[in-house]
Amino acid sequence: MKKNILTALLLLISVGLQAQEKGTLLIKNGTVLTITNGIKENSDVLIKDGKIQKIGTGLKAPSGADVIDAKGMYVMPGIIDAHSHIALSAINEATSPVTAEVSTGDAVNPLDIAIYRALAGGVTLSHAMHGSANAIGGQCETIKHRYGTVDPEELKMKGAPRTIKFALGENPTRVHGSGNGILPRTRMGVEEVFRNSFSEANEYMAGWNEYNAKKNQKSFKGVAPKYDLRLETLADILKGNIIIHCHSYRADEIYMLMQVCKDYGIKRLVFQHVNEGFKVAPELAEFGAMASVFSDWWAYKFEVYYSTAYNATILTENNVVTSINSDSRELIRHLYHEAAKTQKYGSLPNDKALSLITINPAKQLGIDDRVGSLEEGKEGDVAIFKNHPLSIYAVPMYTIVDGIVEFDRENDPADMRIYPNPEEQIDVTIAVSDSEYDRCMQDTEFLFNH
Amino acid sequence: MLWLLSLNSTIHGQEIDLEPVTDTYAIRNANIVQSPGRVISMGAVLIEEGVIKSVGKSINIPANAKIIEADSMYIYAGFIDGLSHIGLPKPKEKAIDRSQIKDPANPPNDLSGIQPERLASAMLGPKDKSVSDMRKIGFTTAQAVPHGLMLPGQGTLILLSGETPDQMVYRKETSMYAQLEGAPRRLYPNTVIGVMAKYRELYRQAVQSKDYLKKYNANPAGMVRPEQNFIEEAFYPVIEKKTPVTFRAESVLDIQRALTLKSDLGFDLMLGEVKQGWDVIDKIKASNAKVFLSLDLPEIKEEKQDSEKDEVSASKTESDLEKERLEKRKKEIIDLHYQQASTFKDKGLKFGFSTLEVKPKDIKKNLSKLLEYGMTESDLIAALTTHPAELLGLSTVMGTIDPGKMANLVVTDKPYFDEKSNIRYVIVDGNVQSYEVKKPKKKGTGKDAMPKGKWSYSADTPNGTVTGEIIITGEPDDYSGTISNSQTGQTTDLTEVSVGGGSLSLSFPFDIGGNNIQIQITAEIDGNTFEGNMSVGQLGSFEVEGQREPKN
Amino acid sequence: MIKNILCAGAVFMAFAGYAQSSKGKSGTFALTNATIETVTNGAIQNGTVVISEGKITAAGTAVTVPSGAEIIDCTGHVIYPGMIEGGSRLGLTEVNSDARTRDFSEIGEVIPQIQALTAVNPNSVLIPVTRVSGVTTSLALPSGGMFPGTAALINLHGYTPDQMYAGFKGIVLNYPQSGRRGRFDRRTDEEINEAAEKALKNLNETWGKLAEYHKLDSTITASGSNEKLDYYPEMEALLPVYRGEMTLLIEVNASNDIRSAIDWVKDKNLKVIFTGVSEGWRVAKELAEANIPVVTGPVLSVPTREYDRYDRPYANPGLMQKAGVKVAIRNNGAENVRNLPYDAGFAATYGMGREEALKAVTINSAEIFGLEKELGSIEVGKIANLFIADGDVFETKTQVKHVFIAGWQIPMESRHTKLYDEFLERSPGVKK
Repeated sequence: MKKNILTALLLLISVGLQAQEKGTLLIKNGTVLTITNGIKENSDVLIKDGKIQKIGTGLKAPSGADVIDAKGMYVMPGIIDAHSHIALSAINEATSPVTAEVSTGDAVNPLDIAIYRALAGGVTLSHAMHGSANAIGGQCETIKHRYGTVDPEELKMKGAPRTIKFALGENPTRVHGSGNGILPRTRMGVEEVFRNSFSEANEYMAGWNEYNAKKNQKSFKGVAPKYDLRLETLADILKGNIIIHCHSYRADEIYMLMQVCKDYGIKRLVFQHVNEGFKVAPELAEFGAMASVFSDWWAYKFEVYYSTAYNATILTENNVVTSINSDSRELIRHLYHEAAKTQKYGSLPNDKALSLITINPAKQLGIDDRVGSLEEGKEGDVAIFKNHPLSIYAVPMYTIVDGIVEFDRENDPADMRIYPNPEEQIDVTIAVSDSEYDRCMQDTEFLFNH
Repeated sequence: MLWLLSLNSTIHGQEIDLEPVTDTYAIRNANIVQSPGRVISMGAVLIEEGVIKSVGKSINIPANAKIIEADSMYIYAGFIDGLSHIGLPKPKEKAIDRSQIKDPANPPNDLSGIQPERLASAMLGPKDKSVSDMRKIGFTTAQAVPHGLMLPGQGTLILLSGETPDQMVYRKETSMYAQLEGAPRRLYPNTVIGVMAKYRELYRQAVQSKDYLKKYNANPAGMVRPEQNFIEEAFYPVIEKKTPVTFRAESVLDIQRALTLKSDLGFDLMLGEVKQGWDVIDKIKASNAKVFLSLDLPEIKEEKQDSEKDEVSASKTESDLEKERLEKRKKEIIDLHYQQASTFKDKGLKFGFSTLEVKPKDIKKNLSKLLEYGMTESDLIAALTTHPAELLGLSTVMGTIDPGKMANLVVTDKPYFDEKSNIRYVIVDGNVQSYEVKKPKKKGTGKDAMPKGKWSYSADTPNGTVTGEIIITGEPDDYSGTISNSQTGQTTDLTEVSVGGGSLSLSFPFDIGGNNIQIQITAEIDGNTFEGNMSVGQLGSFEVEGQREPKN
Repeated sequence: MIKNILCAGAVFMAFAGYAQSSKGKSGTFALTNATIETVTNGAIQNGTVVISEGKITAAGTAVTVPSGAEIIDCTGHVIYPGMIEGGSRLGLTEVNSDARTRDFSEIGEVIPQIQALTAVNPNSVLIPVTRVSGVTTSLALPSGGMFPGTAALINLHGYTPDQMYAGFKGIVLNYPQSGRRGRFDRRTDEEINEAAEKALKNLNETWGKLAEYHKLDSTITASGSNEKLDYYPEMEALLPVYRGEMTLLIEVNASNDIRSAIDWVKDKNLKVIFTGVSEGWRVAKELAEANIPVVTGPVLSVPTREYDRYDRPYANPGLMQKAGVKVAIRNNGAENVRNLPYDAGFAATYGMGREEALKAVTINSAEIFGLEKELGSIEVGKIANLFIADGDVFETKTQVKHVFIAGWQIPMESRHTKLYDEFLERSPGVKK
């Protein structure tokens, strides 16, 4: 089912939004890069009702289903970006060092053109994260790039594990310590925020447990602890229900958080950016923490001045589950190229390099049973390339989410906005291209003069 | 605005207050639109003590009734505004002394905008210009909510008449008003995600404390005394579903965010100032939310008739084609905004209108435009009367012209939607206001318009009337002059004077709190008088008229 | 697994031979059995390049290796001209978020006389990181006000700015912008238009003064008098530009601004380059007709308009080149100027083609900067800026094995490689 947004709009049909669409589609004759089961030449992938039904040769399309001739092309799983801020109306609730109670899920913006542009780079799924202004930030949302809807719920990947953003280092200390005069101002303070928050959450849980145990007793006159959404969320982290994704750079602070997690029994931990992760790769591997890194960004802040583009390779070779992310609405459009840089910096072989943007980020988001590789039973998220995705000459041709073609290079019109601005003056443009680093700090501009 | 604030005289507009000699009125020989589809031609309405006594083609009119000859005019039920700030002047922006805030992560509630306990009914200003402005165009009733951030307070239902707040208030607490609006920078909650989390927490805390209070009141012995928390208490009627929450939800995303909170927490929901609702009507229906659509519509710039449009398409460049496509898409989205009302109608969702953003002078224009987009006059009258009455629970007393209902009426000299129709009377709660028809501006011819000389002027501003003298000297194409203010005694040079086809245009500089702005006067000269508008940047536009001073 | 990497690493180091030394090495070198991508004369198979006294003294198949030359066997490898970055902050900044390390933007609207070259840090950690990827030369670009200073082309080797100076300087003009400056620009449309008009007025007033200055100066020279004009460094610096002797680098991006700039330079007889040019594809014909060369980039950026086709920035250089514009590509960064081949690679993939894209980071830049006799291709007599790679320079998996700058063999190490060596297999590892 190809979706042509422009046609729908031109017909001015305000069709009630279809519930999460699932497509049926046959991709024929491609070089299928399954990631987990090797490379299948001249093979077909049949997606039925949004799920991969079969991978093989000589498959037949069900009647009425579209067929994509992928002859000479490469068929890989849809690319997953484990660190992104696209499709969000708000990124940083930067007003407190701890804001576990907020969730980016409340700010999902399906109208963001960046979603389409990410699809144009083969990315079918992104982790829409809270920013890095706070030591304990807000909960994040795992979204699939089902572009063309106005309903934020349509983008959410139902059933994906809960995740939350933590941050170490210069960002929280600048925002709260320097910016607002409250702890943390140093890396020492950042640790204190975690220990304090987790201890309070333990107390809160104990209070509720005690109350629940006693409340039905006959002569019970006690009062429950006051409901606190923040402590509820922190308690959920301690219970293992939320995966921590922690923005981090320096080796010592990465080490610190692992110690804190050990002390509080937290096991589900993914470090983000983790530019100096390579310096504590053995410790990361031992803990079982995973790492989501940039391909080659460095030196833009002091805490990344001593990092290396060989980070991803070193981590991978030391058995840390590593992914490559974008943290940028620009970079997300060519994550296949960013992954390929691990072949320049460390000569990673093709299968490992591709894992960095498929099965590994899926593991980090806890959704590797559903996406991240082309296997029968998994969801029909596929990216089709002309030329091998790790080649500079790669051109994404089709991007498919749940069996529906969301990006079609040859047929999509140029203007892919869902709601144009009724008040815009045509021909008044942005004078400078939008190429910022580290969107993690959006919504905190008021604190800094550039 | 020192210059314009200097005089504190009474506002004189075109309103004339009729002294009530009796509170029994009969309006005769009128076409009475009792409700959409029920019209009595050449009938009469009898009002007594603010209540409609009888309506019909021929009714019994008592001797003590004051007769208003309607002479083939039209009577409609007074318009009902579903969500507005009428009667609630916008508070001045206070500078925040951040040094006083100990913990920005936990700021005082008034700074973070958490004030659900405030009552609009206690904040009303009957003399606020918004009351007379809205009444003048036919509104008799409105839900008025306070200004603020995420929880500005409780809305109140008001009648657009009365000298004191008590006289205005019809129902004290109609709904808890909410906006997805964060605290100023650096104060929690600042973004929409902070605000959404805060709503959930406040609501659940209120549920918790309400349950505890119930237990405590049933048997307080031995129990810890519940703390007073007036913010949580403000939620109790909402939890009990006695009052709904009215969310200001303009964009398609905000509408859905409000719906999410409703489904998470369970309160009854009203959506106001809805601008982009056409794609989420099913979701709104499923939630049983009540809807008030915004009357603030995007500007439609009239296309210049391009004579070159018929050029052969081969000579169009790529960028011409692109521009065409973009203009087309822009028109489509504008059309969708205008079509919103009829889309809701087609899907069977009754709605009223809200006026938080629209300027009163644009309301009739926008309503009339909707007639080109699938709404009939009956549809629009319904959305102004019977539907909002239903949605606000007022159907027994308002919304139609029937015996027993409140005497809220609008009388126009032609059918309301006629371009040239004027409102002649607005009756609120039995109080009659009459309005004179403004003389149409006559366009002077080039010869007659002689701006040179001395003029005395008066301008109608919200803070009073300002008078003074305008002196224009010079020759055609090279005029200059001065403008003076009788109250301050100041005289300022005019930066620009131009005349064209009977139209006079002046501008002069003015300093407001360090900001230099240009004030512009545009007026039609008619012999020895002129009439026009003075626009003061973003502060708005006011009527001004002038008279040539006789030569001594 | 790690063992394989180490083995590969050992082979690499043996091939390199001098990874232990941190100093560049000068002398006579013969690079034999190579595929030579000359850029101007096609690819030569099984060729030899001889470097001597900083220059390319031979390049071809029938080449005699001079005695005493150090021989590097390039079997299976390709020799490319050193890539030229068309405009960046490399050398002018170290840690971008720390204002104390930023030296590219000075206070003042009209300060064309200040020299970016002076502020270049030859020992910046970012430089080795960049040059080991084959980028040998970069234009150090000042930014800020209307005339923010004089840009300078530097080779990425040398211990003083003068040692690095590569022979080209240009005055930068930030052309008045008519559009919004980005997402955070909250001005109203009127304010933006007013600001744009004012900026253009300022530019024309400045230019008017310059015209006067030129007239007076010419008169004095012609009359042979001893009169001197008062000290006026801004005018002195702009005078060669006015006279068409020095290049004016005009930074301009929005299509309306480009048109306005084309109009502005018409009839002024200037040596002009347009830089940035992100919407150049919209006015490619006009640019070609006006014969204005452009340095464009970064290619890896988002479209300038929300309704633009998603791949416009990738296609921009190619669209201009096809319309007849001479295009050079820049990365416009600082710490990742090493990614210049990938800016060019994306341009190649999305319409420019490999051959033109390679020119856009070599000979075209050299020509645009007036240094076509010294740089930009592998030809006898040119300065020995070149690198040896094991494949297509645009492909990410290609490894650069050797780099020569001005005839100096560059140590193939940087902070990144050193950290890789130290931490690939850390010792001690995790203590049990």
